[in-house]
Amino acid sequence: MVISASLVTWFSGPTLQTAPPIGDWVALTPVLLLGLTALILFVIDSIDPDDASNTPALAGTAAVGTVLALGAAVVLLAAGIGQGQGGALRLYGGQLIVDGMALFFTVIFTSVATLVIVASYDYLADRVYQAEYYMLILLAATGMTLMAAAGSLATVFISLELASLPSYALVAFLKDNRGSVEAGLKYFLIGALSSAIFAYGISLVYGATGRLGLDAIAQQLSGGTQLVGILGVGVLMVAGGFAFKTASVPFHFWAPAAYEGAPAPVSAFLSSASKAAGFVVAFRVFAVAFSPDAVAASVDWTLAFWLLAAVTMTIGNFAAATQDKVKRMLAYSSVGHAGYVLIGLAALNAGQNGLVLGASMIHLLVYGFMNTGAFLFVALAEHWEIGRTFEDYNGLGTQAPIACVAMSVFMFSLAGLPVGGGFMSKYFILVGAVGTGHFVLAALLLINSALSLYYYSRVVRSLWFEDPADSLSIDGYPVGLYAAVIGAAVITFLLLPGIFLASDVATSAASALFA
Amino acid sequence: MASPWIAIGALALVAIAIPLGMMVVSSLLRPTVEEQGKSATYESGEIPTGSTRIRFNIQYYMVALLFVIFDIETVLIFPWTVIYRSAVGSAGLVAALVPMLVFIGVLVIGLAWAWRNGAVRWVKSPRAEQRRQERQRQ
Amino acid sequence: MSVAEASTTAFAFEVAPAIAVLPLASFVIALFAGKYFPKKGALAGVTATGGSLLLSLWVMLTVAGGAYYNEEIYTLVSTPESFDLHFGVLLDPLSALMLVIVSLVSFLVHVFSLGYMNDEGERGLPRYYAGLGLFSFSMLAFVFADNLFMSFVFFELVGLCSWLLIGHWYREDAPPSAAKKAFLVTRFGDYFFLIGVVAVFATFGTATFAGSESFPVLAEEALTDGGAGGELSTFGLGAQTWFTVLGFLILGGVIGKSAQFPLHTWLPDAMEGPTPVSALIHAATMVAAGVYLVARMYGFYALSPTALAVIAFVGGFTALFAASMAVVKRDVKQVLAYSTISQYGYMMLGLGAGGYVAAVFHLMTHAFFKALLFLGAGAVIIAMHHRQDMWEMGGLREKLPVTYYTFLAGSLALAGIVPFAGFWSKDEVLYEALVHGLTDPLLLVAYLMGLIAVFFTGFYTFRMVLLTFHGEPRTHTARNPHLPGWNVKFPLVVLGILATVIGLTNMTPVAEATGLEIEFLHTWLEHGIEGLNSEHYGELLETVAGYSAAELSPLLAAALSLALALGGAGLAYSLYSGDRPDRHTDRLGDARTLLMNNYYQDEYQVWIAETFGTGVARLSDRFDQSIVDGAVNGVSSVSLFSGGRIRRIQTGIVSNYATLLTLGLVALLLVVGLTGGWFL
Repeated sequence: MVISASLVTWFSGPTLQTAPPIGDWVALTPVLLLGLTALILFVIDSIDPDDASNTPALAGTAAVGTVLALGAAVVLLAAGIGQGQGGALRLYGGQLIVDGMALFFTVIFTSVATLVIVASYDYLADRVYQAEYYMLILLAATGMTLMAAAGSLATVFISLELASLPSYALVAFLKDNRGSVEAGLKYFLIGALSSAIFAYGISLVYGATGRLGLDAIAQQLSGGTQLVGILGVGVLMVAGGFAFKTASVPFHFWAPAAYEGAPAPVSAFLSSASKAAGFVVAFRVFAVAFSPDAVAASVDWTLAFWLLAAVTMTIGNFAAATQDKVKRMLAYSSVGHAGYVLIGLAALNAGQNGLVLGASMIHLLVYGFMNTGAFLFVALAEHWEIGRTFEDYNGLGTQAPIACVAMSVFMFSLAGLPVGGGFMSKYFILVGAVGTGHFVLAALLLINSALSLYYYSRVVRSLWFEDPADSLSIDGYPVGLYAAVIGAAVITFLLLPGIFLASDVATSAASALFA
Repeated sequence: MASPWIAIGALALVAIAIPLGMMVVSSLLRPTVEEQGKSATYESGEIPTGSTRIRFNIQYYMVALLFVIFDIETVLIFPWTVIYRSAVGSAGLVAALVPMLVFIGVLVIGLAWAWRNGAVRWVKSPRAEQRRQERQRQ
Repeated sequence: MSVAEASTTAFAFEVAPAIAVLPLASFVIALFAGKYFPKKGALAGVTATGGSLLLSLWVMLTVAGGAYYNEEIYTLVSTPESFDLHFGVLLDPLSALMLVIVSLVSFLVHVFSLGYMNDEGERGLPRYYAGLGLFSFSMLAFVFADNLFMSFVFFELVGLCSWLLIGHWYREDAPPSAAKKAFLVTRFGDYFFLIGVVAVFATFGTATFAGSESFPVLAEEALTDGGAGGELSTFGLGAQTWFTVLGFLILGGVIGKSAQFPLHTWLPDAMEGPTPVSALIHAATMVAAGVYLVARMYGFYALSPTALAVIAFVGGFTALFAASMAVVKRDVKQVLAYSTISQYGYMMLGLGAGGYVAAVFHLMTHAFFKALLFLGAGAVIIAMHHRQDMWEMGGLREKLPVTYYTFLAGSLALAGIVPFAGFWSKDEVLYEALVHGLTDPLLLVAYLMGLIAVFFTGFYTFRMVLLTFHGEPRTHTARNPHLPGWNVKFPLVVLGILATVIGLTNMTPVAEATGLEIEFLHTWLEHGIEGLNSEHYGELLETVAGYSAAELSPLLAAALSLALALGGAGLAYSLYSGDRPDRHTDRLGDARTLLMNNYYQDEYQVWIAETFGTGVARLSDRFDQSIVDGAVNGVSSVSLFSGGRIRRIQTGIVSNYATLLTLGLVALLLVVGLTGGWFL
């Protein structure tokens, strides 16, 4: 019902009255490029369904598509499209919004997708269904970029599903692997439940306001509403939908299983890009539609995010500290990082919104690279088949020093030590939390970071300081995986001095939401 | 202030209490006789055969999925055809026609891919074939 | 000033950062490409420090033209509403003078190293020259630092470089241990410095040295106006008391780096490093850094009479204490090491006694004559095939004339014999201490200690000269010394000339006697950025610190100290002048044992370290074990426990997940709903 309503709007409503000028299509170039690349992959696979023979063509097309989309997003961002004086571009009657934040996150998604695709070339060698793999990645990326640009709850829902459905299939990609299939099913079931909650939340919000467009909802709510209870339940259920996408407690149950069972590049993609997508849409919906000024008095969703942030980072980090397997540790650490980013939403009530939200955006950017890199290193280890536990990584530094240096950079940057951008971004979040008076969250952030140093440094210790097992041997240095891991490490490192380039963009993009 | 929530809460309590109370009272009053038929699956009077966990051939799902795609396609095309004339009149041919062509084009690519990758090819299961032959032999 | 002139002035200041960057470049070149060069990185170092020297001279000329410079160049962290951390360049007469001194000594040390390291076939040369380059870079950047934070950063870098260079011969036993000692002892002082830097930021919100918003100016306003003091947080103490505390904290770093009592013990051990490194450390870089820091922020210290008195007293005591130990040493470098401690004591005495110009003057002259003495000692060590015991030398005068005469010039300067450099500067320090001491008994005691130290200085200096160069050669090596090359002689000659004449730039007694305007250094330091010149410091000393100078002719004081120096020298001559001097030190009996063992300073510090240190270590270990580890273990056991719980929650059964998810959402709804009052 919701879907068809919005589609009817698409055909009958604003489109007919004001056809978008060419410039508006240009603003959607990254999205269109990703979708088009997915279609090209369909065509290629239809012409020649034999994966073994056209692997380079498939991977190459996918990589070129994401790189072009990345380039387009960077160009648009640099050109100031949808930023500054003109304000955000509203396309199709406000169904899609292209602004600084959308483009910023598009850069994150396309970067992560590029890294993952490059790494997958080696990871997928000699596996079947490669074409489907790349298609699904690209479709999910399309969905994520649409999430970043979604301007009404209808497009939010559709784009969220477009990002989620390929993800379910991707997690279950290793068809013969019990863990992968089981993880995919769990992910799907929890996802279905969360989508149901999310859709129900949307319907309640619609019931309370009679609007689906984010701006329209904000306008409606600025006059206050009689239906506080309905609106409140709706808002929290919508928050629940985002909590699923961002793997925040208590919607995180799928995450450890899915990240561990999925192929490591897919874990990287989901835990970095998909999480960021969940956050960008949450940022937009909560900053614009349920703007804290209008709603917070009756529906104090910042309190909800406060609780979610506190519980999420604590449970994520505590659970990560007790894991034996590196991948599962990373899965829980990913939950913990969601908690850090949630601080940005929890602190949206103290008049420094641009700053705190910008800090969260920067953290997601840095996290996109360092976490992707860490999972891709795990992919490398899986490629070498050396095992999954910390002990299995012992002495890997003697065999693959470069990759291990990269992994050390990721680990320390994730922990928030100044060897990578993670230090600065975490620092920004901390400053934001302190500056808005959320001292408990700031203290929790510090405590959890200290704890996280323990389990991140366990990896580094294994890599460098433990003696390798006699059986440790690695075969070959796969070019694609290496390139992706090293690329991610270099960018993570460069983001330490270069963070200020990104932070200005992020802060101004975040401030524009509240202008 | 008499909140409507109090009434709702009271109703909910009553709603839970009545069935529970009936079950409790009946279990106290009635005699208990163990009998196998009571625990058997109800099959409209038929005696149940085999387990409930039967596997359908996966290919049914494939067809069902394809059907859903065409179903939704119809849902979208139908309102479009209804307003097509007035849309051409107000927005021009291109704005009215091209988006639908793109939409159908995407669907066609998907269909072609599914077809090419054997989604509609009815594969015969070797094991089912074997069983059928065994049954014929008996 | 014409337009063209203005533009060149600005240009000299704009390239000023290159003074420090050039040695940094030589560090990089020597480190990564040193082994491919014919001289293993030496040429890069010589070129770089030569360039620094030229640029420093240019800057000095520009400053002499009346232009000053105080700019931020790179902001590390900037927070609105509070402080920012930045790097900047402050060029005024003091820093311009020091830049020239440091780059000159560094340049000459590089040249000398060609003879001392390359020609002697030492190994690890790229590492050595990289260390020298980094050392020069750190010190030069420290000198033109415009704020305390930047000073601290480069102060620490200087400490790191000293560790690298003292431990250059890391395969032997002694150098690594000496390097560690130098690093740890100075680090002990730097802890206080670090706390001081943080406290300065917390108090003033800035740590810049110059300008109307700098911390000395703010502190001064707080004390003189009274009204502004309310804006500063002095943590419940009175403003002056708190500033004194701050001054003491920073002084901790100064005492460590400038090897003042009781943190001087690292310096004699640091002689284990290559001799050119010793010259660099003692004359221009590491040890000078401490005294320079006090001079740099003298406007702050001048506000606290207590801090000044402590500086003066520590300085005077160190001067005497170290000089007495130098008397009995056998190793030529050990003698010089203790003389360095003693001479820096004089500088501290000068600063504490209100003689800012005198102290800077002594810093300058000492830089030249101590560099000269160390390089001369290095030349002797080359000649003696790396033997350093003076009792194995003797009679080197005929074989090494250039070394002898330059070394003699340096010794005369060190002993304070007219008209060599040290006489003028040391005399002025003592004069300042005396005139201020006549009204302040504590300063007077410090002055007396400094005065007695003059006698010891004269004695040990000439004992060293006589044992090394005079008499009959006492060993085979001394009869056939290895003759040094040009690259050894050139620095000696340059420094020899400077040590002889540099004192003439500031002949206070002569000026007083004749009435001529020849106190060039006084004039030089009187100018400068407002609030950062000796004139202003003089006012502060009088108004805030309450110093007053007695009327006294400098000639009298000069005559007294010269007489004592000559007395010491004469005693040394009478004891050690013959062809075969006796070991008179044995006659000192127990005193000799005491002195040879450096008053058991090392022993008592080790004892302190072992009893208290171990106690503290044990305590902190227990703290670590019980509280920190307890907390960590607690956290980890809690986290293991809760991790187990979470694992139990994470059953792997999807329907459980769905239940928990729904319950979680309901709980969230209840909490937010109850606080939001939806159910009412």
